Amino acid sequence: MIEKGRISYLELALIMYATVVATAILYIPYVTSQHAKRDLWLSPIWGSLSGFLIVMIIVKLSKLYPGKTLIEYGELILGRTLGKIISFIYLFFLLHDTAIAFREYGEFIESAFLHKTPIIFVTGSIALSCAIAVHGGIETIGRCATIFLPIVLALYILIYVFLIPDLNVKNIFPIMQDGIMPSIKGSIAPHAWLSQFSLMSFLIPLLTNQQKVMKWGMFSVIASVLTMVFINLGNLFLFGGIISNLYFPVFEAARFISVGSFFEHIESIVIAFWVLGGFVQLSSFFYMLILGTSQWLTLPSYKQFVLPIGFLIIIFSVWSTPSFEEMIRGMGTTMPFYFLTVQLLIPVLLLGVAVIRRKRSKSFLP
Amino acid sequence: MKFSGIWKKKKDHFQNIQLNESLDTLPKIPLHPELNQNIEVLKSAYKDCSDVVFREFSIGSSINAVLLYIDGLSNTEEVDQHVLKPLIQMKNHEHGAIFEKTKKEISVSDIKDIYSINDIFKQISIGNSIILIEKETKGISIGLPKWEKRSIMEPDAESVIRGPREGFIETLRVNTSLLRRKIRHPLLRMKQMDIGRYTETQVIVAYIEGIANSTLVDEVTSRLKRIKIDGILESGYIEEMIVDHPFSPFSQVLTTERPDVASACLLEGRVVILIDGTPITLIAPCTFASLMQAPEDYYNQFYISTLIRWLRYIFFFIALLAPSAYVAILTFHQEMLPTTLLLTIAQSREQIPFPALIEAFIMEITFEALREAGVRLPKQVGAAVSIVGALVIGQAATAAGLVSSPMVMVVAITGVASFLMPRYATGISIRILRFPIMIFSGMLGLLGVMIGITAIVAHMCTLKSFGVPYFNSTAPLKIQNLKDVLIRAPWWAMDTRPEFSSKDTSNLRRQSSNLKPGPSKGGGES
Repeated sequence: MIEKGRISYLELALIMYATVVATAILYIPYVTSQHAKRDLWLSPIWGSLSGFLIVMIIVKLSKLYPGKTLIEYGELILGRTLGKIISFIYLFFLLHDTAIAFREYGEFIESAFLHKTPIIFVTGSIALSCAIAVHGGIETIGRCATIFLPIVLALYILIYVFLIPDLNVKNIFPIMQDGIMPSIKGSIAPHAWLSQFSLMSFLIPLLTNQQKVMKWGMFSVIASVLTMVFINLGNLFLFGGIISNLYFPVFEAARFISVGSFFEHIESIVIAFWVLGGFVQLSSFFYMLILGTSQWLTLPSYKQFVLPIGFLIIIFSVWSTPSFEEMIRGMGTTMPFYFLTVQLLIPVLLLGVAVIRRKRSKSFLP
Repeated sequence: MKFSGIWKKKKDHFQNIQLNESLDTLPKIPLHPELNQNIEVLKSAYKDCSDVVFREFSIGSSINAVLLYIDGLSNTEEVDQHVLKPLIQMKNHEHGAIFEKTKKEISVSDIKDIYSINDIFKQISIGNSIILIEKETKGISIGLPKWEKRSIMEPDAESVIRGPREGFIETLRVNTSLLRRKIRHPLLRMKQMDIGRYTETQVIVAYIEGIANSTLVDEVTSRLKRIKIDGILESGYIEEMIVDHPFSPFSQVLTTERPDVASACLLEGRVVILIDGTPITLIAPCTFASLMQAPEDYYNQFYISTLIRWLRYIFFFIALLAPSAYVAILTFHQEMLPTTLLLTIAQSREQIPFPALIEAFIMEITFEALREAGVRLPKQVGAAVSIVGALVIGQAATAAGLVSSPMVMVVAITGVASFLMPRYATGISIRILRFPIMIFSGMLGLLGVMIGITAIVAHMCTLKSFGVPYFNSTAPLKIQNLKDVLIRAPWWAMDTRPEFSSKDTSNLRRQSSNLKPGPSKGGGES
C-alpha cells in the first residue's frame, strides 16, 4: 500500500468531521435559510439521510474489498477500462471539490478581513502549509485533527455561550409554518456537504482496526449534523428572520460578542481559530486527492505529487466559479445535485454491480 | 626465522598505516616474546609523545620488564608504592611462572591481562599503567588512573529550589556512579562503546532492562554504531547524528545535567546516553510534553506543579507569538483593541517612522544580540552591557523616537517568556520560529499567524523521536498518559509508565494502584 501510516477510529471521525463541518458552518446557514426560513435548523436533519446512506454504502463496499479504496475497487468491480473511467470521474470531481473548498475558504477570508489581498495569495499560503501536512502523510493529518478540532469545537460553543444574553429562543417559532417542504428544500445544501462522507472510502483502509468503522462513521455523521443544527439554531436565536440576508451569520454572530466592554470585536480571533479547522479540512481533501491520483496511476509513492497537484488545486480554485455570488447561488441550486450524482451514484453503482457479481459467481458454484 | 618474518611484515604494515585509522579497525598485533621488539613498536607508535613514560626495570633484579604509562593520567605514587616497589624487591624468580608471580605481587584490585599492542593503546589512554615482561606474550594492565577532575556541583543551567544539588561532571565514571547510586538494581544496564577515530570517546548507553523497550535500545545502539567521525567533544556531535529529522528546528533528544532527571527518565523507560568529556547527557526518546517538564514539577506539590505547567504552555505561545500578534493587531485588526488602549498606542507610535513589522524586527534582533552578548561576556564587562542594553532598549530608543514603548513591553514579555522554558533547547526553537511568524503576520495579519502555527504544528506532527511521535499521548491521543502532560497527577495516581516504554504491557505499572493516602489506610494494619 502507498500509505504506511495508520490512524485510529477517533482520528477517522475527526478528519471526516472537519472535512464536512469546517466550511459547512460558514455557508450552510445562509443557503438553507433561503428556502427553509425559520426552519433552517431542521434541514441538516433531513440532510443527514444522505450522510447515513453513504456511510453505509462505503462501509459495505470496504467490507467487500478490504484494504482497498474507491479508486482501487472501482477497477475490480467494473473491469479495467470502465473502472478507470469511473475512478477518473470521481477523481476529477474530487479535484473540483477540493478546489471549491479552497475557494470557499479564500472567499470567506476575503470578505471577512483581507479585502484587497489577491485571493490566490490567501489560498496559496494555506495550501503551502497544508502541503507540509500532506507530505507528512495521513498520520500527520490525523494528529493535527486531534490537536486542532477540540479547540475549534470549543470555539463554536464559546461563540454562542458569550452570546447567551442576546439569544432569543422564541425566534424558533413558528415551527414548520408552511409545512415540511421548505425545510426539505433547504436541506439540499446539507445533503451536498454530508455526501462528502464518501471520502471515508480513502480512510477506511488506513485504520489500524476496522471492526467498528460503521459505528464511528455514523458517530461522525451525527456529530456533523448536530453541529450544523447547533450553529443554525444559534444563529436563528440571535438573528431571527433577518438570517436569510446574512452571508456569514457565524461571523456576524462573533461580531456581536461583547463581554465586559473590553472583550469585544473578536471576530478576527474567531476567524483565526476557525482557520485551524479549515486547515484540517483542506489538508484532508488535498491528501485524499493525491492518494487517489497515485492509486489511479498505480504509483509507488504520492509524495512527489504534493506540490504539482497543490498548484493545480489553486488554479482550479480560481477557475471553479466566476465570483462569490455565483458560488453561493450554485450551492443552493446545482452544486448539491452535482455532488450527490458523483458521491452517491458512483458508490451505489459500484455496490450494486459488486453484489450482483458476487451473487452470480456464487450461483455458478455447486 | 619465519615467525620474525611475519612479525616484520606486520610491523611494516603497522608503520605504513601510521595510525591513520580508528584503532578498532587496526589489524591486531599480538605481543612479541622479545621485550625490546614490543618497546620498539610502542616507541615508534608514540613517537614524539613526550607524555608517554617508558620506565625500564628488572623484576627481582634479573628479569627485564617495562612499565608504561601516560604522565598525568596515572596515579604514579600508588604505582610506585604497590607495583614498582614489590616487583623490584621480589626474590624468587624462575622463568615460566613469572607472569603469575608478578600478578600476585601487585596489590591492586583492578588488573587485566592484555595480549596485543592494540590493547595497550586502549588501556594506556584511559590512564592505566602497563607492565610488559621479557619472554611473555601477555602484559598486565594496572587500573590506577588519576587525573584532575571538577568536583560535583549544582548545574547552573538547571538549578532547582527543591531537589538534589548534584550534577554530572566531565568524567564518565563519576557520572555512571551518580546514576548507579540512585538506581541500585542490577537491571540498570550500561553498554559501553568508543566513538571517534582520534578521540576514542567512551559513550555509555544506559537503560533499565525490562522497562526500556528493547527495540528502542537496539535502535539507539545501532544509530550510535553508525557514527564514524574524527572526534566527539560534546554530546551535540552525537545528537545531530542520531536524530530522526535532521532539518527540524525542534530538539528531538532531551539533554540534562542532572542525575535525578536522568534517573527519572530511565525509570520511565527512556535511554540515557552518557558521553565522556561532557556533563550534558542525552535522553531518548523525547516528546514535546517532556520538553515542558521541569525536575521540580515532580518534587513540589501537584497543584502548584500543574499550574506552573499550564503557565509554561501559555508562555510558550506568548514567547512564540507575542511580537507577531502585536504586529498583526496593529496592522490589520485595530478594532480588536479597546478604544482607550488603541489611542494610547497610536499616541506612542505617532513619532515612529517605521511600520510595526520593521519596528518589531529591530527590537527582536537587538534583544537577541544583547542576550547573546550577555552569554559570552567576561563577568567584569557583563554589567556594562546590561546597563547599556537596558538604557538602549528601554529608554533611549523610545526617547529617540525609534521604537514605541508598547513594543518595548512586548519584547520584554517575549524575553521573559522564553526564559520560562525549562529546557534551553525549547527556547532555541522558539527563538528561531518567532521570526518567520512575524513575517507571516506582517503579510496576512492574524490569519498569517495561524498559518504559521498550522505549519509548525503540522511539522511537529510529522516528527518522531526514535519512533515515538512528538506529540505522543496528545496526538495520537492516549487519555491514560495525559496525566503527566496536561496536568502533573499526584504520585499516587501516576501508576503507569508512558506506554512507549515496554512492549510488555503487564510491566506498565510502576506502582501498586492503591497508594492514595487517607485515614483508613494509615497506621500499621495491612
